[in-house]
Amino acid sequence: MSTLKLRSEPPERIDLLNINPLALSKMSEADAARIPVGTSRRGLTLGDVFSIALDGSDSLVIEGGSGRLDRVGASLSQGTVRVEGDVGQRLGAGMAGGSLIVTGSAGPFAASGATGGTITIEGDAGDHAGGAVYAAKAGLDGATLIIHGTAGDGLGDRMRRGIILVDKAGARAGSRMIAGTIVAGSLGAEPGYGMRRGTIVAGSHGALLPTFVETGTPDLVFLRLLARSLAGLRTKHADLLKGCMRRYSGDLATLGKGEFFTPAG
Amino acid sequence: MAAWVKGDAADTDAAVAAAAALLSAARTPVFAGLCADVAAVRAAYRLADRIGASLDPAAGPGLYAELGSLSSGGALTTTAPETLGRADTVLVVGSRPWDGDLVSEIADSKPVRGLSAGEERVVLSLGGPRNGTSRHVAYGIGNAGLDVAIGHLRAFVRGHLAGEEAYGDLATRLAAAKFGVVIYDAGEIGEAGTEMLQGLLKDLNEKTRFFALGLADPFQGRAVMQLASWTTGQAPRVGFGRHLPEHDPWRFDSARLVAEGEADAALWLASLPAPRPDWLTQLPSIAIVGEDSPEARPDTAEIVITVGVPGSSAGGAVWNDRRGVIGYVPATSGTVAATAAGVIAEISKKIAEKGASC
Repeated sequence: MSTLKLRSEPPERIDLLNINPLALSKMSEADAARIPVGTSRRGLTLGDVFSIALDGSDSLVIEGGSGRLDRVGASLSQGTVRVEGDVGQRLGAGMAGGSLIVTGSAGPFAASGATGGTITIEGDAGDHAGGAVYAAKAGLDGATLIIHGTAGDGLGDRMRRGIILVDKAGARAGSRMIAGTIVAGSLGAEPGYGMRRGTIVAGSHGALLPTFVETGTPDLVFLRLLARSLAGLRTKHADLLKGCMRRYSGDLATLGKGEFFTPAG
Repeated sequence: MAAWVKGDAADTDAAVAAAAALLSAARTPVFAGLCADVAAVRAAYRLADRIGASLDPAAGPGLYAELGSLSSGGALTTTAPETLGRADTVLVVGSRPWDGDLVSEIADSKPVRGLSAGEERVVLSLGGPRNGTSRHVAYGIGNAGLDVAIGHLRAFVRGHLAGEEAYGDLATRLAAAKFGVVIYDAGEIGEAGTEMLQGLLKDLNEKTRFFALGLADPFQGRAVMQLASWTTGQAPRVGFGRHLPEHDPWRFDSARLVAEGEADAALWLASLPAPRPDWLTQLPSIAIVGEDSPEARPDTAEIVITVGVPGSSAGGAVWNDRRGVIGYVPATSGTVAATAAGVIAEISKKIAEKGASC
């Protein structure tokens, strides 16, 4: 297990785009220490920010997090990255495989454009978790994003594939959703604004849009299959689907092929 | 031209030297406002490139509401002259379009070209102020947001919702247009509303011709957008910390940079009127402001330098909203004041003399 130990709170935002187990496995500690990670003219390197211990394994631990650590695990394709603390924006952006775990909280745009692997945030997530960054065609794109705490607004904005599990999220979850699945303990107002397809399940929710219409409480095989697939990820989310679910169809302002489920009771 | 350093009156050279010292010592300086003529904004981008600063225009929120939608799905747009000349149906969304004289000019005239030439023009409003100043048919939105109302209307236009509701009537009127235009302000309806509005226009164009006329922001945002594009290849919120222009609307949001303690110096450029950010006195800062403006006072920032106002006490190229282009406006007063571009160039020269890391 390789380790990066944060020396102190970074004086500027740090970009860890190219710091992953695969890249570090081919490097000496001296070479790794010279990788530029700063974002100002001061030219900070990995060795300036972290004390480094590498063993060539496919597992990397970042000890001591900071909200200024951007793009942690971005473009990860294999192996495991574990952050003991917080991270900044674009956690796991563009990730294709492997496992990424954050014990603290994440900044905005976590898992944006991630096509594979599992990203787990044990604390809270900022706005647009699983959402698209500026000018991107899609947000989450096939990966699995699990948030134990609360996510901000715009969860899964423009997501195209994959699953998001979250305890609680803010307004407009699943906005402009192209496809994919969001399962939440509770959601804020106006979920699914502009969604074209996809599925949102919420234990409770804020105000629904006038462009979502109720379509009854059908007993769908799909929901049982979804519950079964979620059981291996988080039992509490799978349990949400056990009772009778009320279905809404939307957003009728767009294609209207999205669906929103909430307990009928 | 007046100047102040730490509250005391100073000559311009001393203020420029103090500004150069402040910026050359900073790790992550931010340039905000950018409400000025093109030459001044270009000088700001050059200085930012030299010292690794980031830039964020005062027009940012409205500009990015428009750009976000444009980048994701394109836009169907037209101009004010085309609207006046051809439109037989005009939908005014929100309150801000009613602030200027464009809507009343449209309401008081008829189309003179195209299929509707000579016909009466229909002016409709969605979520407007209902002030009755111009002839129009008003559709209220209740407590809904403008972006929700636009989505609701779009569902009727698509035929996904039907009924006797007002939105049904409005959708019918829009579909009956021969040449329709929607006037809106992207900053008022937001990125989601702008994208939904463009989707509405695409749906309407399945049946007729309908276009958007987005209002320019009042802070030179569209000029800054063009300048940023030809200078960096990016939209305006860029940072030069890594010797190349990186575009990141979240990271280079000036208010966020200051609130999270990441910026350690700021330069606020507003030779034309722009709202002063409330964070300006929270960090070492330089304000380059129009002479005789409310901000031309010693407590605006640590260093304050007053400059000529384009179109008044100085000439300069600025955004012409009606024509939709950048155009030159000459000084109207007899005495031509020093320009913001000149002051920024002097600051840049001083920094080069100091040999600041760049």
